[in-house]
Amino acid sequence: MKSFNIWYISSFLISLFVIIPVVTVFFSYFENTSDYSELLKNTFLFEYISNSLILLLGVLIMTLIIGVTTAYLVSFYSFPFSNFFKWALILGFAVPPYIYAYSLTAFFENYGTAYSILKSLFGDANYNKHIPKFDGMLGAILSISFSIYAYVYILTRASFYYQSNNLIELGKNLGFSKLKSLFKIIIPSARPAIVAGLSLVAMETLSDFGAVDFFSINTLTTAIYNSWLSFDDLAFSNQLSFYLLIFIFGLFVIEKFSRRSAKYHSPLQGGFKTRKKIKLYGLNSFFAFLLCFIIFFLSFIFPISQMLYWTIIYPKNFFDLNIYDLILNTLLLVSLSSIILIIFSFISNYGNRVSKSKILNFLTTISISGYALPGIILAVAYITFVAWFDNTIISYFEIQSIKKIFIGSILGLVLAYFVRFYSLSCNGIKSSYEKINKTLDETAYLAGYSKLKTFLNIHIPYLRSSIFFVIILISLEIIRELPITLILRPFNFETFATTAYIYASQDLLEAAAVPSLFLVLIASLFILLISRYILKEENE
Amino acid sequence: MNKNFFEIKNVDFQVGGKTKVKNLSLHIEKKGEIICLLGPSGIGKTTILRSIAGLEKISNGSISLKSKVLSSKNDYVEPENRNIALSFQENALFPHYTIKKNIYFGADRNKGNGVRKIDPRKIIKILNIEKILNKYPHQISAGEAQRASLTRALLSNPDLLLLDEPLSNIDENFKEEIQVKLKQILKDHKITTIIVTHDSYEAFYLGDKCGIILEKKLKQFDEPYNVYHYPNSINVVNFLNRGVLVPAKVTGQYTLQNDDLGLIKGNFVNEHKVGTKVKLLLQPEDLEHDDKSNLQLDVVDKKFKGTNFIYTLKTKSNKNISVFVHSHHVHQHQINDKFGIKNPIHIKHLVCF
Repeated sequence: MKSFNIWYISSFLISLFVIIPVVTVFFSYFENTSDYSELLKNTFLFEYISNSLILLLGVLIMTLIIGVTTAYLVSFYSFPFSNFFKWALILGFAVPPYIYAYSLTAFFENYGTAYSILKSLFGDANYNKHIPKFDGMLGAILSISFSIYAYVYILTRASFYYQSNNLIELGKNLGFSKLKSLFKIIIPSARPAIVAGLSLVAMETLSDFGAVDFFSINTLTTAIYNSWLSFDDLAFSNQLSFYLLIFIFGLFVIEKFSRRSAKYHSPLQGGFKTRKKIKLYGLNSFFAFLLCFIIFFLSFIFPISQMLYWTIIYPKNFFDLNIYDLILNTLLLVSLSSIILIIFSFISNYGNRVSKSKILNFLTTISISGYALPGIILAVAYITFVAWFDNTIISYFEIQSIKKIFIGSILGLVLAYFVRFYSLSCNGIKSSYEKINKTLDETAYLAGYSKLKTFLNIHIPYLRSSIFFVIILISLEIIRELPITLILRPFNFETFATTAYIYASQDLLEAAAVPSLFLVLIASLFILLISRYILKEENE
Repeated sequence: MNKNFFEIKNVDFQVGGKTKVKNLSLHIEKKGEIICLLGPSGIGKTTILRSIAGLEKISNGSISLKSKVLSSKNDYVEPENRNIALSFQENALFPHYTIKKNIYFGADRNKGNGVRKIDPRKIIKILNIEKILNKYPHQISAGEAQRASLTRALLSNPDLLLLDEPLSNIDENFKEEIQVKLKQILKDHKITTIIVTHDSYEAFYLGDKCGIILEKKLKQFDEPYNVYHYPNSINVVNFLNRGVLVPAKVTGQYTLQNDDLGLIKGNFVNEHKVGTKVKLLLQPEDLEHDDKSNLQLDVVDKKFKGTNFIYTLKTKSNKNISVFVHSHHVHQHQINDKFGIKNPIHIKHLVCF
């Protein structure tokens, strides 16, 4: 009865395509490497690994503290602007770590913005030695943490939001203080969500390229980039990717596992709707406000002000930048990628729905593993695969090389984005699709609707808002994305991210401010558009 | 040539590779008949409806409607081409449509084919959903959702209507009224219907015939009166939970002897040789109260059911039997009182196993 139909073939092809980078990394592990790799193994490899681990630990601790504290305050307490902070605290996500790094450096560097402020307030003096320097590892930890703590905040808040009122009242009934309730009841029951958030943070941190590169911290990610670009050793680059991948897949499994447990905090268990926030008064209210404000300020206002400041005092950079082209390029990438991703996500999800096949379900699970792949690994593996395919298969048939079509082209870039963001798109559609009870499809069939008519008349109208959500989410990720775009973009094709990176790598931070500002503003707009979905509000 | 309006012939009903009901055969002779399927939860009643609707496939036997094979090992008509409506137990209302849009969904499928249309306004009024027409499914109660789902199924003018526990969420005080009206609509419009329910009274009222599904089999398929009064197996008796089986010995063409109750007279439903030991079905209405009788038993329980009391009496051999007494009966008995049973007992139908 289960025949191989279009759904199998498409899902199989998607899974095959997405799995290519992982397979490439695996096979490249056994290839010969250059002398550079031996040198690196004997000298700096340990440093790269330890740097990666220190960075990871630092970011995990910071995001845990910031994310859980802010989520706790806005979920359980009412204080001035608490409703504003509920969504304002996710705006930090609009600032990619590398842009935060530029702002941090620009503000605290010698004769930087902090110096200018002090000078204008108190006159000329040698303030530089008193201004703290946030560079190197500390700078990287701060930049990444303020940029991505929102993962922990969003998931923890959602978990707190769904926590049953009974649990909170149980604490009161047992005579627990607020603090004791927090540590004994509230946090333990939100633990799966917190772990899921931290796993995402860990994956992002290990994948980060822009911020660590800017602060010249040698991590496994920069080593992958350098061994390929500076030493032309693609095989060793893939070997390093292999190590990093094993680690990241470990996190991926933890995240999956935690998320499964997190399902237990479902609104169906009741009580959450009636939970009223506790109103804070006096000093408590002030401190809750202050803490949220500081986090909001540091994560969003601070970097955006720095960029705005530079854009205003160096207006030439604004007029020199070809903003029109950058917007067009961004629109092109976003629209092409979104269309392809949405179409294939629908094929896969609809195929799964109508065929009820376990094999198809398994293939879909494989195909969404792409999001665990750091952009840099994906880009390098993609190039490795295209080169291998071109050198073996294409040259065997003696036809024209395909490298130009797939590397340094819009098509190549969109395909890489496809692999990277397929899980976002597929899962986004899937989570809404799962909410449509299958008996609704059956009701439509019994009312004389064909499968296509059911899809067009029932599924699409129902999923309209989640399609919008997914498109915005993909757009947000694409405009923030740096390494894939940097490596695979066509010659002279820039986005806001690559332009900012190029200026910053040339030490022209003032010039990097304008594209960074645009990037952050557009990203903020996207975040605001989807904040209701992200925060899983009452409309769910 | 198959002359039945609807027929299931030797079908094994499966779901997820598991056989739920084996080798089932039944038929509906004429258009407009109503049959009810009764059975415990999880026995496969819904699977039967889903298979008839074409939502599950079958691997043997055949299902045919109006002389056309809908499902068999080699034939399969897609659900959308069967003109069969199914009202799901979970209602399946489209959450993004108003109730009005939901109930008219599929209503135009038989437009212009000469089918006698049901007047929507009439159904809406009868099922009392006028006030919720502009609401969305999440804004209405489970009972209202069920009535809306039922309306949608009725308005689609199907050749065969399948109702899965159609009144399970409806308030008890409203249920009887709906049952009456539903039957009236189905009969007036000659809508052939298969109803799945766990409520035997609902099945007995609505169905022209009732099927009892137990242990993966259709144990009995007959008119409600026969199912109730002439259950064909101990399993059916136990399922209907409408009496007790007491040991007895056949003593004559019309008589039985029970050690506790003495002589019992009546007509045997099935033949039993004199001298055989049988189990006799004693239903609450079979026994008659008589204070002057010399057959006195202890009252161990008393249930007030509005129109009547049901007394549970204990026999000498510790067997509990039930007796109906009209609730306006001149006097009542209390627990531990003695309770007289008219002796000798006369039962119209003697059902023995």
